[in-house]
Amino acid sequence: MLTLAIETATKVCSVALCRDRRIIGEYNVNAGMTHSVLLVPQIEKILTCCAVKKSDIDLVAVSIGPGSFTGLRIGLATAEALAYAWHCYLKGVGTLRCLAYNMPREGVVLSPVLDAQKGNYYQAIYRWQYGKIEELQPACVVGKEDLFSRIAATDMPAMLLGECDKLLQDKLPENIEAVPKEILRPKAASLAIAAIDVFNAETDKNVFGLEPYYIRKSEAEELWEKRQKQK
Amino acid sequence: MGTRDVYILGIESSCDETAAAVVKNGRTVLSNVISSQIDIHQKFGGVVPEIASRKHIENIMPVIDKALKDANINLSGIDAVAVTYGPGLVGALLVGLSAAKALAFAADKPLLGVNHLEGHVFANFLEDDKLVPPFLALVVSGGHTALLKVMDYNSFELLGQTRDDAAGEAFDKIARFMGLPYPGGPEIEKLALRGNERAIEFPIAKLDSPYEFSFSGLKSAVINYMHGAEQAGRKINTADVAASFQRAIVDALLQKTAAAISDTGLSEVVLAGGVSANKVLQADLAETAKICGARLVHPTSILCTDNAVMIACRGYFMLQAGIKSPLDLNASPSLKLG
Repeated sequence: MLTLAIETATKVCSVALCRDRRIIGEYNVNAGMTHSVLLVPQIEKILTCCAVKKSDIDLVAVSIGPGSFTGLRIGLATAEALAYAWHCYLKGVGTLRCLAYNMPREGVVLSPVLDAQKGNYYQAIYRWQYGKIEELQPACVVGKEDLFSRIAATDMPAMLLGECDKLLQDKLPENIEAVPKEILRPKAASLAIAAIDVFNAETDKNVFGLEPYYIRKSEAEELWEKRQKQK
Repeated sequence: MGTRDVYILGIESSCDETAAAVVKNGRTVLSNVISSQIDIHQKFGGVVPEIASRKHIENIMPVIDKALKDANINLSGIDAVAVTYGPGLVGALLVGLSAAKALAFAADKPLLGVNHLEGHVFANFLEDDKLVPPFLALVVSGGHTALLKVMDYNSFELLGQTRDDAAGEAFDKIARFMGLPYPGGPEIEKLALRGNERAIEFPIAKLDSPYEFSFSGLKSAVINYMHGAEQAGRKINTADVAASFQRAIVDALLQKTAAAISDTGLSEVVLAGGVSANKVLQADLAETAKICGARLVHPTSILCTDNAVMIACRGYFMLQAGIKSPLDLNASPSLKLG
């Protein structure tokens, strides 16, 4: 089975090709350019480099968030259209879960975080056991203090991944460190494997109806709801 | 052997409509699917960009799929994918553009990046079989008010545009000020039907340039009039205000268009953009054109507002001229005319 993975939830524009569970190519760009410009040419390039024909792709995997709203939509619109045109499968995987696939190591808990703006973070907590991933805490929006207390509650040594640069500027609490820089950022190779792990050929047929996992409502909606409550 | 038919898939997501369409040979509409978000934005009193983008990503593939199915064609039968890449809301544009690029790439079809405003002008080719350039175009929408000389299918000369608010923007702002629901243009038009358009004399901006427009002074005049009446305790006849305001806008458009017809000597004028759905504007401009010795063409209502048929039509003429877009095409939120 051939999987094309598309990861655009953060500033990194990443695509990967995977034959069964073996990564045959990954192309990451983190140079501050917009995904809209990079994404399709990057996909074109990786297919050429790996000598993969468009018609050989069986599954398009896409990182569905949380993350940059616009980045998520560029990735999802692209993935949906490719799967539609190629009549192949489409699978969305949460971005925090994909990050945990950057380091499938047992004996620690992994806390992927992504920037949720205004000093907040999207955070979930995972653990690898017997080669399988387990979600200890679901994705939610937290401030810095809650982020660390959620980790402390697991009572295990922990590692941060993702957009945690600001957190690393200060001294981290005991028992918490960051993963090596090379695997800090989202990457499509991790997404590809994560997608294959949850892919089900029986139920994953519809290319419609997949939506970004925003977690947060739009600011306009939040304001409107606040005003309704005050009335 | 006759010439082969050319099928273009058009995609549009620049503001609050997700749309897709299939057009044959640039003139025949095979399908026209529009998913409007008006109801969703109404409670906010205008289009909220982030919410528009969220609705676009929900709807884009179902809308494209329906357009292909309605036209009884599949992607492999399409000759090119045309898509709006500007002007518009960047987040909204990126949804349609990303889908279009992926479809073009996946199916090995040319990508045609279309200027939304040119698309509005080209809606007239679908309205009138006999329309051929050169002609004059008056583009009036929520974001633009411009006079354009269409020299050829792919060359345009901007004669003049608005210095401040667009005509449609003035409609929407005044409507909001009067407490009318969004979108304001059609509401003002409806209210104006019951009013006297000569009741209040609102100013028409006098500008040095013969083809430029300005509506911000008019907008202030209407607001001042209403404030003044309120403070003096006079009862405001809102229907008269709406009718007189609409009259001032239409008159400004007529004056400049009449000058452009006379100066260019062109014998055809087309109306384009969302405000072209305004019946008073349609009727009066037809009359003015006639007096100036020209003929007016305007799109049917469904093609006045945002749609993908016009994008497919514009794309057809680009393809015929060999104009194609690269797969790294980015959205261009403030893309200009001409």
